[in-house]
Amino acid sequence: MKRLFVGLSILILFLVTSAAYAGAPLDAVKANADKVLDVLRDPKLKAPSAKEIKKEKLRVIYVEMFDEVELSRRSLGMNWNKLNADQRQEFVKLFEQVLEKAYADKILAYTNEKIEFTKESMVGSNLAEVRTRVITASKEIPITYRVILKNGVWKVYDVVIENVSLVQNYRTQFNDILAKNTPEQLLEILRKKVKAQ
Amino acid sequence: MKSLSLAVTLFVLIAVGCAHSPQVASSPASQAQPTLTASKSDAAPQKPQKPAVKSKGTPAKTEKATADSDATMDYTEETTGEAKEEQAPAIADPIQPFNRAMFEFNDKLYFWLLKPVAQGYKAVVPEPARVSVKNFFSNLGFPIRFVSCLLQADVSCAATEVGRFTVNTIWGIGGLMDPAASNDLNLQKQDVDLGQTLGIWGVGQGFYIVWPLVGPSSVRDSIDIASEYFLYPLSYTSEIAPWYVYYIVRSYQEVNSTSLRIGDYEALKEAAIDPYLAIRDAYVQYRWKKIKLKGAPIEQLAPGGVRLEK
Repeated sequence: MKRLFVGLSILILFLVTSAAYAGAPLDAVKANADKVLDVLRDPKLKAPSAKEIKKEKLRVIYVEMFDEVELSRRSLGMNWNKLNADQRQEFVKLFEQVLEKAYADKILAYTNEKIEFTKESMVGSNLAEVRTRVITASKEIPITYRVILKNGVWKVYDVVIENVSLVQNYRTQFNDILAKNTPEQLLEILRKKVKAQ
Repeated sequence: MKSLSLAVTLFVLIAVGCAHSPQVASSPASQAQPTLTASKSDAAPQKPQKPAVKSKGTPAKTEKATADSDATMDYTEETTGEAKEEQAPAIADPIQPFNRAMFEFNDKLYFWLLKPVAQGYKAVVPEPARVSVKNFFSNLGFPIRFVSCLLQADVSCAATEVGRFTVNTIWGIGGLMDPAASNDLNLQKQDVDLGQTLGIWGVGQGFYIVWPLVGPSSVRDSIDIASEYFLYPLSYTSEIAPWYVYYIVRSYQEVNSTSLRIGDYEALKEAAIDPYLAIRDAYVQYRWKKIKLKGAPIEQLAPGGVRLEK
């Protein structure tokens, strides 16, 4: 009886707090992940010619799901402060394109994979981690989404795949490049990369 | 003669294994000093950072904090909450020219040899069969994992490994299947190795090394390359078969496992601004976390002694 009571009160507490968070972090990530899966599995879009349509749809979801400014800022770390306003805006755009070109095809190749949402945990008052697992025929890949609450919406600012943080991985690279180059030169490197892809 | 064959083996092994996964690496760990909190400069510490020389080009302005939109907000640890997150320390890279050369070598080896062969193999052999082959070789890795568990003084880890080896060898047709990991038994493969063990003991990662064939490693984690000679059963095939059998089998193992992850390395490389740095950092993060998860105080153990993810 006592246990039941405790369980109930925890449940109520949980319901109340999650309402206050305008949709708990996990739900926010899951809703977007489900949308991605819907696009990938849409029988109407099976034809290879529908690839561009799929990509367009994924782009829309990406914007809803990710906070690309936060992602860029954290990827640059302290170097972010060296960029002026225009440079920052251009950087955010270029970085997004680099990521899209690298990962879009990879995501489109997914078919039978299953995503399991295992856990969410609050890291700070406005930061949380959502743990998931992508299960394929031959392996399981742990993927953690780091999300931030802004204006009542949880958005992803970092993806941790197999314990490797995307943001930290890029920060290592940008740090190294900016130790030898100016921000303008970094932008030039990114422009070239986007063109070449 | 023996030493020659050892050297050759090491070379082939590297050739075979090295290219295998420049992605996140398969062997040993990294961690070094717990520099967790320092998030700002951590990624670059290996080189004495020259403070970004603002030479020609555009003037790098540090101000511009005048904010109205989100994008104009400056980066500070307080606003981002970064300080709370722990991050893997950077790794020293004093032999970077050599490492970059080896990275190129492994890269070419992958694209010119390993990948085409693996693709052909993949086209012929169905996925379930390839997964079985992978299970078989994984089962042979039992001695390394068992010894690592013992050296980590983790009894439940060692017991789980013994249970897995027994069940999978007998009921899993010599390790081709993995019945031990089923829901009923729930004996999951223990993610342990000797480099990680040293890390838990407090040994620092040393500097970064890219071995030809084997790929990313560190001074400490290179123990896993050496240990394979003693603890990987295939190393003993030369006792009963001609010397080249080992290389053939080992190469086959590499082709098989590559066939299950074609595309991973490509994506990582494609996404990187500097692939060498991207892979080095991925390796360091991966190893650091692997040690941290194991070295952390025991939280919860699931049935079967499986350590749940933190």
